[in-house]
Amino acid sequence: MRTARATYYLVLRALRESVRQPEVELPNLLIPLFFLAVIIGAINQIAPDAFGVTNYTGFQVPVAMTQAVAGVAAVSGIVIVMDIERGYFDKLLLTPAPRVALLLSRLLADAVRSMVISAVILPIGLAIGSPLETGVAGAVVLLLLMGAFGAAYSGIGMAISLRSGNPQAAQLGVLLFFPLLFLSPAFTPIDVFEPWMRAVAEVNPVTYLLGGMRSLILEGWDAADLAYAVAAVAGLGAVTATLAMLALRFRAR
Amino acid sequence: MKERGCAIAVIEAEGLVKEYERGVRALNGIDLSVEEGEIFGFLGQNGSGKSTTIRILTTLLAPTAGGGRIAGLDIRRDAGRVRERIGVALQEAGLDDLQTGAELLLLQGRLYGMGGAQVRRRVAELLELVDLAGDAERPIRTYSGGMKRRLDLASALIHAPSIVFLDEPTTGLDPIARDTIWRYIERLNQEDRVTFFLTTQYLEEADRLAHRIAILDAGEIVAEGSPAELKAEIGTDVVTVQVAAPEDARRAAEVARGLAGVADVRVTENSAAVYVADGGAAVARIVRLLDDAAAPFTSITLAQPTLDDVFLRATGHYLQVDDAGEERAD
Ligand SMILES: Nc1ncnc2c1ncn2[C@@H]1O[C@H](COP(=O)(O)OP(=O)(O)OP(=O)(O)O)[C@@H](O)[C@H]1O
Ligand SMILES: [Mg+2]
Repeated sequence: MRTARATYYLVLRALRESVRQPEVELPNLLIPLFFLAVIIGAINQIAPDAFGVTNYTGFQVPVAMTQAVAGVAAVSGIVIVMDIERGYFDKLLLTPAPRVALLLSRLLADAVRSMVISAVILPIGLAIGSPLETGVAGAVVLLLLMGAFGAAYSGIGMAISLRSGNPQAAQLGVLLFFPLLFLSPAFTPIDVFEPWMRAVAEVNPVTYLLGGMRSLILEGWDAADLAYAVAAVAGLGAVTATLAMLALRFRAR
Repeated sequence: MKERGCAIAVIEAEGLVKEYERGVRALNGIDLSVEEGEIFGFLGQNGSGKSTTIRILTTLLAPTAGGGRIAGLDIRRDAGRVRERIGVALQEAGLDDLQTGAELLLLQGRLYGMGGAQVRRRVAELLELVDLAGDAERPIRTYSGGMKRRLDLASALIHAPSIVFLDEPTTGLDPIARDTIWRYIERLNQEDRVTFFLTTQYLEEADRLAHRIAILDAGEIVAEGSPAELKAEIGTDVVTVQVAAPEDARRAAEVARGLAGVADVRVTENSAAVYVADGGAAVARIVRLLDDAAAPFTSITLAQPTLDDVFLRATGHYLQVDDAGEERAD
């Protein structure tokens, strides 16, 4: 109860800051949209013949969404480092608010921000030719998946920030997403991968997240694909939340 | 003005030792006890361990050895309940640039579990107290250093704690802002019997506010008592001979050393301080000796010992303040 109350007010603070810093949020939107445009521009023509993807725009929209969400979720790590440096984190630690609320509030705020940015990208994708086979219900599931992924991903940045208290290290949270994305079937289906790359992609949670999202967009309801996506996000979330908890315990001795 | 209430210890530390990584021993066995309603001044120069002591007592930092109690609650086992009891303003005003002053205080109140109407009333009251009512809706980023300090102080008081820790509350403030903070502290102490544990590098601050002072040097308490007691321990008066040039000061010191009953003589750029038991009688004799020796001087004053003298006696050196633009408060 107390945790819920403290979390609620801390979420409000996080969202307030996000609204007050559009310059922090805007690149998270514009960079993925830029990539979306140039990748479609370069590959759209050959996609059907080269690897059998008939609507390459629909194939790329989930990539843009996950990329945007990873950017959004990495911000929390940076905010926490700033709070630590400014001493505000100490002020929060000095209150009787349960420690876990400090983490939980950031995860939840990131989930909300992730859903908002996804809700901006998805209609843009539809406007430039992506289908959405599962309709409105599918859109809701897509946003929920992105919210969950945002929360899961933000655990990485927070673990790094709380452990290191170092702004440069906090930036790692953003950079780490690129290997995760490039080692997944982000640009082409996994069937055309070299065997070693395929082996790596098969243990990469982003592979299953993209798979689930693409099935919602390109094919229709597929319970198995969705289950894999949910499991991948949940697994990632369990690992990052644990790391973040350990880092918080280190910081708040 | 500085009377003490009934003797209930609300802040206690026993054998506090803190060793940071790489073997920095910041505290080397601190014992202290602060009574309810007392203003306790913790005086020491940069790096003496003031902040470390505060961070340990306020549950932010675990001691390497030793322990403490706040309002009878163990700072390690009962950290959560200790936090409910204390208000803390750390050395760096820990604020959040993007919130407004009012938002920061409201959030702070919420985190202490205060309800809507209650917290709003309290925030309005505190903004009034620290003269920030007119700036409450501005982002903290636009506040001056003094405003940030005052807001930080207000946030430490949000839940009306009866025990308040302030780590160098006035360092870096101009004299007017300092005086304002001092008056808040005195008022809260007198009207609401708030106990204060405050660290300072300023002798003047300790002298004016503190009922009792502990002098911290290199992680150890080297003197403790009320300002008056500590000064009395010096046991002499101070006769200060003002001179125009450094060589005159040395000359005057030489002359004064010849006088019977002089305990100590210290030389500064433009004065010589003579520590002597019966200062009143000594003044006349010093003047005569200086005249005899044809040693030039501009004026001569007689004073009681100051905390600066106490500090020198206790630590073997003057209290040095790093802070730019601040004279030695004396
Ligand atoms: N996090 C830390 N890691 C290592 N050493 C530290 C740390 N914090 C403080 N110290 C060291 O511990 C000693 C005491 O520091 P502390 O901050 O308690 O002093 P202080 O009296 O508050 O000084 P100041 O007047 O400058 O604020 C110093 O030698 C300092 O360098
Ligand atoms: Mg300090």
